[in-house]
Amino acid sequence: MNRSVAPEYTQAKDLKIIAPEKKVSASGVEVFLMRDVKDSSVKVDFEWSAGTKYQTKKLVSNFTNKLIFAGTAEKNSNQIAEEIDFYGGYTSLEVDKDHAALTIYGLNDKISDICSLVKDAFEKANFPQSELQKELSIAKSKFNIDIEKVKVLCSRTFNRKLYGEHSAYGQIADLEDFDKLTRQDLISYYNEFYKTKPVIFITGDVSDSFVEEILNWANEFVEERKVINPDVNNQAKGLIKIEREDAIQSAIRVGRLMFDKNHKDYFNFQLLNTILGGYFGSRLMANIREDKGYTYGIGSGMAVLQDASYFFISTEVGKDVNENTIEEIKKELKLLCEIEVSEDELLKVKNYMLGEFLRQADGPLSQMEIFKNIYFNNLKSSYYHDFIQAIHSASANDLKKLANEYFVEDEMLMVVAG
Amino acid sequence: MIKFDEFKLDNGLKVIFHKDETTPMAVVNIIYDVGARDESEDRTGFAHLFEHLMFGGSKNIENFDAPLQLAGGECNAFTNNDITNYYDTLPVENIETAFWLESDRMLELAFTPKSLEVQRSVVIEEFKQRYLNQPYGDVWLLLRPLIYKTHPYKWATIGKNIEHIENATMQDVKDFFFTHYGPQNATLVVGGNLALDEVKRLSEKWFGNIPSRPKLARDIPNEPAQLEARQLEVERKVPADALYIAFRMGNRKSKEHFCGDLLSDILGRGRSSRLYSELIDKQKLFTTLSAYVSAGWEDGLFIVSGHLNQGVSFEKAEAEIWKILNEMGETEIENRELTKVLNKFKTAKVFSEQTLLNRVMNIAMFDLMGKLDVINEELNEYDKVTSTQIRDFSKRVFVTTNSSTLRIKAQK
Repeated sequence: MNRSVAPEYTQAKDLKIIAPEKKVSASGVEVFLMRDVKDSSVKVDFEWSAGTKYQTKKLVSNFTNKLIFAGTAEKNSNQIAEEIDFYGGYTSLEVDKDHAALTIYGLNDKISDICSLVKDAFEKANFPQSELQKELSIAKSKFNIDIEKVKVLCSRTFNRKLYGEHSAYGQIADLEDFDKLTRQDLISYYNEFYKTKPVIFITGDVSDSFVEEILNWANEFVEERKVINPDVNNQAKGLIKIEREDAIQSAIRVGRLMFDKNHKDYFNFQLLNTILGGYFGSRLMANIREDKGYTYGIGSGMAVLQDASYFFISTEVGKDVNENTIEEIKKELKLLCEIEVSEDELLKVKNYMLGEFLRQADGPLSQMEIFKNIYFNNLKSSYYHDFIQAIHSASANDLKKLANEYFVEDEMLMVVAG
Repeated sequence: MIKFDEFKLDNGLKVIFHKDETTPMAVVNIIYDVGARDESEDRTGFAHLFEHLMFGGSKNIENFDAPLQLAGGECNAFTNNDITNYYDTLPVENIETAFWLESDRMLELAFTPKSLEVQRSVVIEEFKQRYLNQPYGDVWLLLRPLIYKTHPYKWATIGKNIEHIENATMQDVKDFFFTHYGPQNATLVVGGNLALDEVKRLSEKWFGNIPSRPKLARDIPNEPAQLEARQLEVERKVPADALYIAFRMGNRKSKEHFCGDLLSDILGRGRSSRLYSELIDKQKLFTTLSAYVSAGWEDGLFIVSGHLNQGVSFEKAEAEIWKILNEMGETEIENRELTKVLNKFKTAKVFSEQTLLNRVMNIAMFDLMGKLDVINEELNEYDKVTSTQIRDFSKRVFVTTNSSTLRIKAQK
């Protein structure tokens, strides 16, 4: 047996995408249903257009979401939690720049009980003052810990400078913002945004009567979702340094605003990004971790929001090598502009990405996430198919052109903290 | 219910196959029976450094990652005090690529000086990033030697001293490999939509001719029972005071583990837990507070830890924690509270067993623990725990002479 010869392999084939079943409540709320689940797990997601971009005062969106289960006239937060726990239920509350979400997890023989409790707490939420005080003090303590981390310092400045400080996307809270928050702010935000129509996703082998219960609940939301389009035309460029004398490492972020997922270059840019820093064998990892040993990890990616998107490189390196790292990052960007990627490397990255699609689509929960991506970004139903075809047909020359168009040093915002 | 088939190759390699017809992906997982507990005290951090070196090329294959990526695959690994685990996920059609790669690095590493130099500095950066450059990052570097005086659990996986990594020589690395890496010291677990015969054929083909190396008999000193309360107070540049109280308890393989695990949920998991509702909600003494078990394979810990609210003294914070712990040893909890944590536990288990990778890793862990035959009995073990057992456990474990307390004081 010759161990130096690799076994035969095949390129991953097209992706099997399972579209969820769609139901619409009488009020017009969309409920997406994925019932082909082999075990007893159930996940129910509610997503509202109520992310941070909608707030006119910092932190309101986060705290309204955080305090949804903080109490009603009849029950305090502890009782609410205890009752949901008793049925083996878990809930999670999350906010990003665009969306606010409430997620319920449970097993299918108890999910109906869990959802009734959640519905009651949600509908009667009265945001008690004492709970707000408690959560503020917890959040301030966490804030003080986070702000010690160079990574956090770096990404705060990066976000602020990327969108422009006056953009609804560029809002970054400081310690004093916590104390400005009032109970009335949360109640107003809740009334304005959490009564608008959510989008609901159910993943689990659930009964018809449970679906009916959710549709009935959905029916109670009658107001239309709010729309807001943040201004994002003020990206800063060039190097910003934040000194931290006692830091052992520096955090680095390099990036720029980009186009959205519907743009013609999106697929090829993802391929280019993967070559640069999107997987373990990437150029950045090979150079800055595996060759120089400057870091434990470095990566690049693209973040897509509803009304903006950006490309970024992120790492933490020894403080003494932060300048070298920036130079090496510039060198890697330039290299992709000047020299075509070899056929070997291109094939490796293509195959890796095709495998990655399979991993991302594995199982009903992942399939639902794939559907959410299509839904929230208004993508064609053939999006993944088109993506895969684009990867198959991309050439080294296409990528070099793209690099020249977007990897422009003068367009980049670079932040070093530490 | 997790189903599997098992067989053994002549060189001692144990192979377990877990069939899953619903996924296009396959997992190849190798767990090695070596962790930070197997290091000598003057050469700590080796098991983990070694995990990094395993990606630096093997005898016949220059680069581990590239061929795997070419086959659409991805890999990773982790090391803890007990074990080192490596896994690859890739489209099932290409599973042979993972057999080829994993078998060659079990056969022998390339041992290139460049790989050692680079991974040495990567690990040093990891040490800085995770343990030094984070508030509270060095907690376990302080807590372990406070709790353990004899047992190798007294150092963290990253090593007790970064100089051990700085001074590692190629000879050290080779010795470590030939002592701990080999078919006699590993379990291969394969998951995916394959036939058992195919798994047997591939295992035999790629792993069958790797020579067996002598199985090292472990000779790890037991940690004697703790007989005095231990305390350590340090000042650090952190934003809030933090408190850690650790109690010795039974290890992951003992019956006591199940009782301790459930009790940690009762005390510290979620908003309806006792510590949260009393000390965060009501008394507002802490901003975070949790309870958990370490589940070490040789020795277990029950840990309560949290950040103090501003203006709260350690004295007050500790007294109130002890009050709650003591109460657990005096009064049996109501059935409803026990049912609550069991139900939460069941939900979490169903979700965690959803992915093939998690199931495969679980099989690997259970096999190495010597508990593969009872992998599906775990829930029953939790079901069997009674209120009386929880009370007795609390009475026995939550005593000052069995406790180690670490106070991190925020520098003014």
